[in-house]
Amino acid sequence: MTADSGIPMNKAEALDRLDGDKTFLQELLNIYAAEYAEKTGAMENAIRAADFRAIRDLGHGLKGSSANLSLPRLQDAAFDMETAGLEKDLEGALKALNRLGHEYRRLKDFLGTP
Amino acid sequence: MIMSDDFPNRTILVAEDDPISSRILEKKLKSWGYKTLLAKDGRGAWEALQRPDVRLALLDWMMPGADGPEICRRIREGKKANYTYILLLTGRDEPQDIIVGLQAGADDYMIKPVNFLELKARLQTGQRIIDLEDKLLQTQAQLTELATKDGLTKLWNRTFIIKFLDEELVRAWRTSSPLSLIMLDLDSFKKINDERGHQTGDKVLMRIAEILTKGVRPYDKIGRYGGDELIIVLPNCDLGSVCLIAERLRRACAAERIRANGKAIKVTISAGCVSSDHLVRLTGDRMIQASDKALYRSKVAGRNRVSAFPIQKTRARKRTT
Repeated sequence: MTADSGIPMNKAEALDRLDGDKTFLQELLNIYAAEYAEKTGAMENAIRAADFRAIRDLGHGLKGSSANLSLPRLQDAAFDMETAGLEKDLEGALKALNRLGHEYRRLKDFLGTP
Repeated sequence: MIMSDDFPNRTILVAEDDPISSRILEKKLKSWGYKTLLAKDGRGAWEALQRPDVRLALLDWMMPGADGPEICRRIREGKKANYTYILLLTGRDEPQDIIVGLQAGADDYMIKPVNFLELKARLQTGQRIIDLEDKLLQTQAQLTELATKDGLTKLWNRTFIIKFLDEELVRAWRTSSPLSLIMLDLDSFKKINDERGHQTGDKVLMRIAEILTKGVRPYDKIGRYGGDELIIVLPNCDLGSVCLIAERLRRACAAERIRANGKAIKVTISAGCVSSDHLVRLTGDRMIQASDKALYRSKVAGRNRVSAFPIQKTRARKRTT
């Protein structure tokens, strides 16, 4: 996994990937916000239903989105979710969900968004 | 150096369920000159891949509906006329996954998040392969044309039209449907060549070929049998119908004034018709012989006319005499 630098987002790396286009980065962050809300909601349902395949796929999807925006801590938490799905570990999935929530709040603080 | 017009109007499919990855790829590919087509799941990707203009595809490994390797397998097993260059994108990095992807029919493989300079270069490789295939197909089409068409008239050549006749005879037997044949030639064609020159003769022959081509049904085939002798194979056509068609063609030719070297030339044709509709185990050779006899009958009767050869009746008469 990407090395955890401690900060929620490697903004320089993300901008470099987007040729320095800050407007485009903001557009993608808005998409990410919607994606995050939809996927974590689906994760809650999947955990309740013990649907491990869905847990794995949702974790995998959010991991990819996070990696594209250079969000290493969210990427790690999503990887934990994917792993919990693979290992059929409900407790691990709950922990990963909590960690995702925590990291997402940190990201919002970092970006200064409400 | 890679320029933005390296991929002029080339359509590329991006099959990716992650909206962020999809949006980034879309923007990048457009900036490189591609027309992008987006799919969010395996079903959408499969549908898009049926389009003939989609020759390049970026497929995500994991997608709802069908994953990237599954789509690769299906496209390679399919009957799409042109090759589709497929690059699989995945977050997976296990060597076994790479093997699975390539064995499924992917041409290339990249780990996400992709390095865009590398992606651009790899797509150029795909483009080279597609261009090479296009050139090969073009050459193949030219060779097929040379092997099957008559160079002057652009009608089917003798080899092809005889093969077509034999194949259609087999089909006619199997389906119990009639097959007809017209043999025709231009009246006094030698005189045209002798008096006006062979180039004029060639022009006359080319024009007659055009008139005949317009006058037959789309599924009939006309071939140059030799010199000015042409044969027309008419599937699912009985003797009565073939005589009507031949007569229509004769009239169309007779009504034409062919211009060559500033002069208008009137040309007529004579035709002989034969049909398999009430014959048993007839061969292509025998149909040609019979139509040739009917053509001869038109010639001796004064030219510019159509004759039919009812082989069965003639045979019956011969047996009784």
